[in-house]
Amino acid sequence: MLFHTWPFPLFFIVVFAVFLALKKTRCWLPWLLIASYFFYGWWNPLYLLLIVYSTLLDYVVVKLMDGSRRKKFWLLFSIANNLFLLGFFKYAVFVTDNINDLLAGAGASWHLPAPDVLLPVGISFFTFQSMSYTIDFYRGEIPRERSFIRFAAFVSLFPQLVAGPIERAKELLPQLNQFPRIRRKDITDGLSLFVVGMFKKVALADYLAAYVDPIYATPDRFDAPALLLATFAFAWQIYFDFSGYTDMARGAARAMGFKLMVNFNNPYLATSLGDFWSRWHISLSTWFRDYVYLPLGGNRHGGWLTYRNLFLTMVVSGLWHGAAWTYIVWGALHAIATMATRQAERSSWYRHRLPTFIKQTLVFGFVCFAWIFFRAADLDDAWLIVSRIFSAGWGDPRFPLLAMLLVGSVWAYQFVYESPARRMLESSGVRVAIVVLMIVYLFIIPGSRGAPFLYFQF
Amino acid sequence: MTHDNATPNETLAASPDPPFGSNAVRLGTRQWMIATLLIVAILTALPRIWTQIEPLAEWPDYRLPHAHSEDYWQYARLVARANSRQQIAVIGDSVIWGEYVTPQQTLTHYLNEQDAGASFVNLGLNGAHPLALAGLVSSYTTPLRDAPVLLHCNLLWLSSLERDLSIDKKLTFNHPRLVPQFSPQIPCYEAPLAERMGIVVDRNLTVRGWAMHLRIAFYEGQAIPSWTLDHPYENPLDEIQLTAPPLDVELRHDPLPWFESGIDQQDIPWIDLETSLQWQAFRHTVEHLQARGNRVFVVVGPLNEHLLTPASRERYQALRQGAQSWLSRQDIPHTLPPLLPSKEYADASHPLSAGYARWARVLFAEPAFIRWLDDETP
Repeated sequence: MLFHTWPFPLFFIVVFAVFLALKKTRCWLPWLLIASYFFYGWWNPLYLLLIVYSTLLDYVVVKLMDGSRRKKFWLLFSIANNLFLLGFFKYAVFVTDNINDLLAGAGASWHLPAPDVLLPVGISFFTFQSMSYTIDFYRGEIPRERSFIRFAAFVSLFPQLVAGPIERAKELLPQLNQFPRIRRKDITDGLSLFVVGMFKKVALADYLAAYVDPIYATPDRFDAPALLLATFAFAWQIYFDFSGYTDMARGAARAMGFKLMVNFNNPYLATSLGDFWSRWHISLSTWFRDYVYLPLGGNRHGGWLTYRNLFLTMVVSGLWHGAAWTYIVWGALHAIATMATRQAERSSWYRHRLPTFIKQTLVFGFVCFAWIFFRAADLDDAWLIVSRIFSAGWGDPRFPLLAMLLVGSVWAYQFVYESPARRMLESSGVRVAIVVLMIVYLFIIPGSRGAPFLYFQF
Repeated sequence: MTHDNATPNETLAASPDPPFGSNAVRLGTRQWMIATLLIVAILTALPRIWTQIEPLAEWPDYRLPHAHSEDYWQYARLVARANSRQQIAVIGDSVIWGEYVTPQQTLTHYLNEQDAGASFVNLGLNGAHPLALAGLVSSYTTPLRDAPVLLHCNLLWLSSLERDLSIDKKLTFNHPRLVPQFSPQIPCYEAPLAERMGIVVDRNLTVRGWAMHLRIAFYEGQAIPSWTLDHPYENPLDEIQLTAPPLDVELRHDPLPWFESGIDQQDIPWIDLETSLQWQAFRHTVEHLQARGNRVFVVVGPLNEHLLTPASRERYQALRQGAQSWLSRQDIPHTLPPLLPSKEYADASHPLSAGYARWARVLFAEPAFIRWLDDETP
């Protein structure tokens, strides 16, 4: 069930109405869990087996950990189990393909059979959310959750189940302790977030996708301007798609009284790669910081070890996105650029003399370059695109001016929002006008409303 | 990703009330009320204003252009105009529309030529099988409430399970946006729930029909974003031409008799009236029109029986008889025109110009039709 398709409002209205009706009973939490499982099972009821297994195991592991002397054993058991789930469902094909390539390279006459595994939607998100609970409990940062239903509702809360934000137990679990206080402001805020998210997805992301997809499907048929503009368009497509999903998730949750974290904060205005990662997919970047980078040592040992930790974290983050070498290269590129800008930021010239706009342009340019590896079907295609950008002809890219106008408007809005002129955007009239324009546009202009979100594949 | 110190966002995320977002688009209750009022006003007003600025074709015998067959909003405009002019709506599929003839050679043209003091308007819709016709009538002909309707019944839609849409195998068919989305269930229609719900919403929101009209009339049937991919540097607004469409005189096919087009005799199987989805939909249409106060006159056929093998013709006549029995039982004025000469058919169901002219004369010679007409003529 996709937020921007018609079954979702119907689902939400029913769930919300019953949720409110159960306010004074103990049933609101089980109802939330049932609704979340229904939402998830809508894709494929078989997925439910997996999420129930993962949830149950982490719940039991923490119960066994509580008061046990073998806490570390149980923690490792939980991590191993979650990584096995991820590894089996997400990386089995990748690993098998690579082993078979090696075998073929070594002249072996046999190969491993290709695993026929269905990748469950959102597995990377809910396993990470569940793992954070186990790790935080192990670290003594949160108490054990005694109610299985509450814990299961935390892992599966439907607005953020399939593509985040990846909430931490210490933030979300307490919100499930009692029926949330739903103020009128929560409803209006939820609606505001949802409308913005819907506009980003339906009006912008899906439009840009229609330009990007054919070019990335056959890059050898396009010249440099088209490849450049498709990469630029993809940068905005993925931003609108993923941040649109997050906005809708946060909006739906907010209307029910649950507060989810901000996941995107105008990332294309970042002035360094570090800044970019504090604005892009914030819930994932902070997850990797807390559970990978810092345990590796963070920057505590200075110099090369910091860079090693940074590099490993970024590469793992790349691999989290997908089982392909393109994602690993994407992660490695970001690691190298993060190190470079981190180093640059140490100079006062970069910090104070280089105009912000130049820094933003450099960062955006690099992020776009890295997206080539993220979006390309494989490494061969990625290299082909990079080489054609520098060597192919200058044929007409046929990039729609309307798309450029829409993206330009959003970019300009973000610049103004982060400038002293922000007050202009905060006036009541401007806000109402923007909402009216977005909704009227959604009713009249876009085509189909069924394209899935990009991040569902991760 | 790897900042050692918490970012401002993270600090805020950890607080009890995380920040709203990364933009200022946040409305309070009063602002939402104002926005809602404005949105409703704009979405309601736009299609109405558009009817004032985009003229409808005024020339006689106008019919919805073939390429605009899915422009139901424009169809509804034609219906509203027919109603305001007290014309008799002639509703049906391409047989009424006139697949092999120009607008000046259709049934409505020849009916009007009879000069009976009544004016008939061609509201045929290409490809409108009875299941689609039911949706068309219930959603897009509401201005016709209490008005007379001449409804054509083309039994060719009952010629096979495929045409009846009752086959249990995915099929592509005309006007999926008009057929019932949930009940009765159409076995060969496998659209996902989201699409079906979207269609139901579209049918009930005039502005969505108008948006579809814009696409069909000005953007080659595409949404504007898709259209700009083919015309990247053009201004979409320049495409809107607010002039009446030119006279439609081009024929879609050569107007040849069926036997000169290489069509052989066919052993059409036909299906039972009782199990037919299309017949059920046709009955529903008649009942719906009657419940709405329309005085309905049904014309069954005339189908090209020359094209049928003797066995098939026999089965068809039984079917036709069954249809007539139901109409008689329901006390619905109707007629079953006699078979036209073979050379006046272009295929299994579409007459040629001479066939339409004869059909119109036959209708005016039919007492039931004249009685019905007399009741309707002021």
